[in-house]
Parts: sequence; structure tokens; C-alpha cells
Amino acid sequence: MTKKLLLVSISAPMLLSAADKITFTENIAPIVYQNCVTCHRPGEAAPFSLISYEDVKKRGTLIATVTKAKYMPPWHAAHGYGEFAEERRLSDEQIAAIGEWVKQGMPEGDPKKMPKLPEFADGWHLGKPDLILEMPVSYELPASGSDVFRNFTIPLNLKEDKWVRAVEFRPSARKAAHHALFAYVQSGSTARLEGLDGKPGFGGMGTVGVTPGQNNSGGLGGWAVGGIPVFLPEGLAMPLPKGSDFLLQMHFHPTGKPEMEKSLIGLYFADKPPERRMIGIGAPGLFGFGSGIDIQPGEKNYTIRDSFTIPADVKAYAAVAHAHYLARDMKATATLPDGSTKPLIWIPDWDFNWQETYNYKQPFDLPKGTRIDVSIAYDNSTDNPRNPSNPPKRVLFGEESFDEMGAVAIMVTAANKADEAVLQKAVADQAQEAIKRGLADGTAKRYLEHQAQRGAPRVPASRQQQITLLDRQGRTVASVGEPGLYSQAALSPDGSRVAVVRTDPRTSNSDVWVFEVTTGKGTAITADPEANTCPVWSPDGRELAYVSIQGAENVVYRKPADGSRGPELLYRHPAGAVILTDWSRDGFLTFWSGKATYALAVDGDRKPVALFNESHSVRGARFSPDGRFIAYNSDESGKLQAYVGTLHRTGGTLSAEKGPLVSAGVDTAAGGLFWPSNGKELFFLAIQPEQTMMSVDISTGSGFAAGAPRRLFKLANPMLAPAQLSSIATPDGERFVFLAPAAAR
Amino acid sequence: MRLAQISFWGFAAVASAAGIQIRDLDGRLLSLFHPDGKVNLLFFVSSDCPISNSYAPEIQRLCRAYESSGVSCSLLYEDAGITVSAVRKHIAEYRYGGIPAAIDQKRLMSKAAGVSVTPEAVAVDAQGQIRYRGRIDNFYAAFGKSRQQVTEHDLSDAVDAVLAGKPVINPETKALGCYIVDPDILHK
Repeated sequence: MTKKLLLVSISAPMLLSAADKITFTENIAPIVYQNCVTCHRPGEAAPFSLISYEDVKKRGTLIATVTKAKYMPPWHAAHGYGEFAEERRLSDEQIAAIGEWVKQGMPEGDPKKMPKLPEFADGWHLGKPDLILEMPVSYELPASGSDVFRNFTIPLNLKEDKWVRAVEFRPSARKAAHHALFAYVQSGSTARLEGLDGKPGFGGMGTVGVTPGQNNSGGLGGWAVGGIPVFLPEGLAMPLPKGSDFLLQMHFHPTGKPEMEKSLIGLYFADKPPERRMIGIGAPGLFGFGSGIDIQPGEKNYTIRDSFTIPADVKAYAAVAHAHYLARDMKATATLPDGSTKPLIWIPDWDFNWQETYNYKQPFDLPKGTRIDVSIAYDNSTDNPRNPSNPPKRVLFGEESFDEMGAVAIMVTAANKADEAVLQKAVADQAQEAIKRGLADGTAKRYLEHQAQRGAPRVPASRQQQITLLDRQGRTVASVGEPGLYSQAALSPDGSRVAVVRTDPRTSNSDVWVFEVTTGKGTAITADPEANTCPVWSPDGRELAYVSIQGAENVVYRKPADGSRGPELLYRHPAGAVILTDWSRDGFLTFWSGKATYALAVDGDRKPVALFNESHSVRGARFSPDGRFIAYNSDESGKLQAYVGTLHRTGGTLSAEKGPLVSAGVDTAAGGLFWPSNGKELFFLAIQPEQTMMSVDISTGSGFAAGAPRRLFKLANPMLAPAQLSSIATPDGERFVFLAPAAAR
Repeated sequence: MRLAQISFWGFAAVASAAGIQIRDLDGRLLSLFHPDGKVNLLFFVSSDCPISNSYAPEIQRLCRAYESSGVSCSLLYEDAGITVSAVRKHIAEYRYGGIPAAIDQKRLMSKAAGVSVTPEAVAVDAQGQIRYRGRIDNFYAAFGKSRQQVTEHDLSDAVDAVLAGKPVINPETKALGCYIVDPDILHK
């Protein structure tokens, strides 16, 4: 009796809340399966699968956050402003249910209620294509940097004119490919652009396939991540004349590792020429060439407005929009001759990454005399995180990412075949009018001037450095080469050249460069997708040794300092960073990895030998000119300090014995160890409390003796991360190389 | 376990962090919060978070740039249930070679550091104190909204300040990425 009562009292509140209880199998899985798994499944574009309960539970908080923020599922048209097919959108109730489920601790529920995973077509979604195109060669996308826009030309070799009902696109770099535009161009017309930079295809984000006033090129639609290919409505097809090449423009997001792209494209042809042509009508003409776009920096709401009056009865199938990074809000509305309005599309937070074709759920008629009004608002302030310029710059019309343009087009067919010519003439007239206005207001002239290639470096100019030579008083005596992202500068043994690691601000990839001190001429010694670091000069100044970071391995190479020959592999380090610091006159390289310092006989067996028998960290080793001593940094006192040890040679091997502290009175010393050739002095770098170049007098006559450290010069703040580990000075000890902030000059 | 009082310019937290150690993939002990005379950068990452992965080259660049200034780096993998071989594969794919990496299986490191997402960075100074916690830079303004140009280099600004013996101006920023989840979540 008591037991029964207890049961009732416990289960009553549970029953009460059961109505609100949200479980995975019953409530959440149906939402996820219907809206997420198209992309969130193995082999698809999304970063992780959302198939099992565990998959979703692991990501619960993230899913609740991104659905609430309406970042996922990705859909950028405002709900209710035009009705679109395949709208990727969760209802407010579904979003609330996910949030509540996470709040309730993400219970699984009854496994028997788990819905069936939707079936996905393997391979071609639309069935076997009539023609399969493949990129002739793979394109390697860098691991990082700004987005990449790349055009690829694929020969078609058509024997006759074709009509395209659908294009299905299958990128190979699924995680990196974001969207693609298709077009046809006259065969061979892009040949002069191909491979100019040594890579397949050519760069640029110009409007693919649009050559105003010419009939030998045209658009063939596009693809965006998550998009499902569809056939054009019955009786419609896009022309693809013989004598054309297929042009593919891809937009990639670098993913953090290099990705290879070799897309497959499936073309589906119509049996016969279409009864109707799809024609894009909208505003402004020529993407705003005649709209006088001139956006002042800081302008938060710069709006252009334009209209197009439809000269014939049409049927509308889809809406497309295009603009660059500053556009915020794009809207198109139709005003019918009877004065009523019809929403066409509204993209309230325009995202350049999502250039989609928005197909109407139900195609609809627009009568002759309907006016399409388009407004596009731009934000050129710092509040717009997508602004390519910081601080914002004046922005004019142009094709590059720093420029702006914009248009909304509605894809229509003429209700009467005879009106196609009328529509096409109206579109051509609109373009002519835009050109006339663009010529009159100076847009055309500025547009040509702005064709010069500009980019969006990840690291702004304020972070750049200048290779700088200082004298013993710390005065700048020379600036070498152009500003850039540099580290690990090393002066050649004759002082005529500087080897340095240069990082490409767009890709963050590093290569070894050599700059001539007198002319400032720079030459890339390495140029590959690996990060190359730590250049050290051979004693004769003819070669460089450096480290190439390849996956988990650090690989040491040597190469002529004029780049005249390919690299020669010296040593592969299985795991851990290798920091090369010196190359002795008798042919030993020294490097540190972890806590230990090693010597490697360049022309010997090339097996590294630990130099010191030490439990403390030893690093930054530099050989004395006579080869008897070795300067190094060690943390045996608890802080990094400079020491000089003694070298021993037995047979072909080298060993070192630890020796006295030479940085007495200095808080912390790291790097900057250098022996001028007279052997009477040793430099080191104090980094705490101030970055100071120090000198110690040395005598080696009857054993090693060092004087008290003297201050040569203090480095101007913030000359941080000096990475001064190799030959930082000229052999006479008169010139020092440092990397000064470029902006401070 | 020693309680480390962290209080720097408006940034206050108490962490029982100093004594916590973790073994890296090769079994070596990493003492991430011990005073060891160096600045330690801890990067909390996960292998299938696109934001975390997209930072791989930048993390490597930062570690290379500061290596010679006595700054060391560690990677802490926060994926639920990830295996050593999966981490090794990820390291090779994203070219993280050379940076000591550990699997923070029990979330002891992320809890001690007070981080909640990947990627998130923490700078520990030579005295074992946390001087910076948060995003690496402001490349991402929001989910799906990346900048064309990074305008705040929060982590390197902080490291520069620590190396120069100066206060860190923004010792805490909000990192954007994938949430670190309780390791037991899969077994609950």
C-alpha cells in the first residue's frame, strides 16, 4: 500500500511534464533528417554528420545556437517575401523545440520511434548525364588565406549545337567548394589567361560568361553548397552552341589544409530546341555600371535604386541577386499595371558567399507594363565585418572584391514567342543606357584604372616588417627590400645578403628568401606549399640550409643561395620542430629540437648526434670561428641565459661540454648569439627586462675567459619575436640585421 | 595542487591549474601552467570543427614567429572520444607537426584554462599565470561571417605585451567556434 502510494506521488509530476518532454527519436530526428542530413552526412560538404543520436547530442549546444541565430540551415532570402521551392528553413516551433531539447539534457527517447534516414541518390542526382565533363588537371587550393575565386576552362568539342536542361556539379574538395557559376565561352577565348600564375585555371571574380553585346558566350546557371540540381521547367533549355568551351568559376573557402579540386560536371541535354528562352530581366542594368556607385568610407546606408518596366507579358521562374561584400540589403518588388504589388525577393543580410538561384515554388505571370523596382543598400563602415578594407576606403564600381556592383534579376519567359525579341531588345537598351551613363559620369574611366589586381591580405600593413641593418650604436644604416612579413633574418658570411623567412600574408605560407643588401633585390629560394623556415648560411656563403615542415616531419635541406639548383635532402626529423642555428666551417649543422641540441655532419652520415649530455634545455647554438667553442642558451638557472661550452672532436663526431655563463647580470637572454671573426667578442641578445644587444669580451689564449657583458644598444620597441638565432651580424661585428616594424619607419 | 590567483587588469579568475599535467601523444608530460620561465600558448582545438581547422595555418605561423622568443605552443584536442591515431592523422593533414599535442580526454585542461570552445587560445606567462584567454584574432565576426581582413590580433597583441613585460590590454575575448562538450556526454 505504502509502496503504491509512493509510486503515484512520484509518477504524477512526471506524467504532467511528459507532454512537454522532447526526445530525439520522436521530435528532433525528424527535424534533423528533413533539414540537415542532405549536407551533414559522410562525403558531403558539411563538416560533420548528424545521423545518429550521438552525432547530434555531441553538437547539441552548437545546433541550438546556430539554428536560433538562423545561420543553419543556410537560407538568405526573407521568409514570406516571395515563395521559393526548396526553402531551407526551420519554423520557429522547430527552433524552439531544439533549444528546449538541449535544455532538457538531450534525452534519446524510445529508439523504436527513430525515423528512417532519408535515401540519398548515390552518384548523379539527376541520373546519368548526357555528357560528363571533368577538369583536365587538379587545382590545389592553399590551406589558408582569403577566399579564392578560380576559373577553369573545360573543352567541350561539341559536334552540334546543344540545349541544356540541367547542370549537375560534383566538386571533389567538398569542404572547400562554396559556390560555382557555369557559362560557355567561345572555344580558346580564355587560353591567354590560363595558367598565368603557374597553376591551373585563372583568377578573378568577374561575371562569368557575360560579354555584353556578344552572342558567343552565355550563362549556364550555378551551384551553391547544399543546392540540389533541378531540371529547368518543361520546354525550357539554355543554349550551348558548338565551338564553345565550358567555363567554370569556383569560389573556395580555404579549410586549414591544402585541398585538391577536380570537379565533375554532368550536362543534361534537351531533345530539341526549347520553345521558349529564359531571359533575365531586372535592375540596374549591367550590374550598376551606370548607377554612379561611389561609396564614401564610413557610409552605413548607401542605397541605389533602379527600375525596369517589362515590355511584354512574361512568366517568372526564379530570382537571382549579385553584389560584392559591402551590399547589405537587396530587394526587388513588382508593381503591376493595376497598382498592386508583388514581392519578388528580399535578401536582408546579403552574403556574397551565397549566390543562389531562388526558384519560385509556383511560376507566376507578370503582365506587360509591370515595373520591377530594385533597391540595394551598401554598408561601407567598420560595422560591416565583411568590409574588405580596414579602415574603410572609398568604393567605386568594379569587378574586384574591393569594388562594388549589384543587380537583382528575375528569370522569365515571354508569354508569346514573338515577344522574346522585344524583351531582349529592352535588356540590350538598358545595358546601352548604363554604358552611356557610365561613360558620362567617369565610371568607365575609373573602372579601367581600377583593373589593377588588388588583394585582401590577412595580415594588414601595420604588422609588416622591414629588414633593417643597424650599427653598433643601434642606428639604422640600411633598409633592405620591401616591407613584408619576415622572421629569422640571417646575414651572409660576407655581409652582402640577408636570408630571411618570408610569409605570404594571403596564405600564411612561409618561404626562404634572399635579399641583396645594396640593391634590395629579393629572390625566393623556396616556393612550395610547405612552410620553409630557419635559413642558415654555409661558411662559404654559397649555400643555405633550411627546414621544411612536411606534415609531422621537419625536413632539413641544402640549396644553392642563388636558387640555381634544386634542394638536396639532408635529414628527416620524425617528430618535433627542428630549429637550425648554424653551419660550422668544418661542415656540421647544428639545430635544436625539444630540449636537446644536435650536430649533423653535412657531408658525413647525416645522423644527428646530441651535442650535450644535459637535462636542461639547450638551444640556439653557434660555433666559434676557430671551432673550439660553442655558444648556446640554456635554462639551467631557471631562466634562459647565454653560455659558452667547449667542443670536442673524436673521429668524425662532435660533442660539447657545458661551460660558463656569459650573460651575468642579465635577467633573460635568448638568441642573438654571434661570434665576430676575430674571436675576441661574443654578442648575445638580452630579452628581459629590455631587448638589448649585448657584447662580451672573450679571450681564448689559455682556456676560455669572458668579461662582463656590455650593452651595445637597446632595440626599439616593439621589435618583438626577433627570431634572431642565426648569423645576426657581419663578421667584422659592425652591422646587425633586425626586422623592424615597417610602420614605425 | 597550488591555487594560482590570477588577477590582471580587470581580468580575475581563480584556477587550481598550476599542478595539472597532461601527457602528449608521445607520453611526455606537459606542465602547461607551471612557472617555467617561458610563455606557453595553449591552443584548444577539435578535429572536425571547421573554424578550428581553418586556424591551423595561423596557429602554426604564430608558433613559428614566437618560437625564438621563448614562447612554446601546445595543442589540446577537445573532440569527444577522439583516438590517438585520429589525432595523429589530423596533425599530419593540417601540418601541425612539431607542436606538442595532447588529447584533453577528461577536459581537465580546458576546465583549468576556463575555455569553452574550439579554437580558443590561452597564454600562460613564465610565472604560470594565465594572461590571455579567448580568440586568436577576429577573422570570424559571427558564425558564417568571416572578415575580409583581420582587424584585431588579440592573441599576438597579448603575447607581445607579456614578452615586453607590459599589461595585456584585452586579457579576455570571446572565442567563436564549436562548443567543448562534457566527455561523458556520450555515455549519459
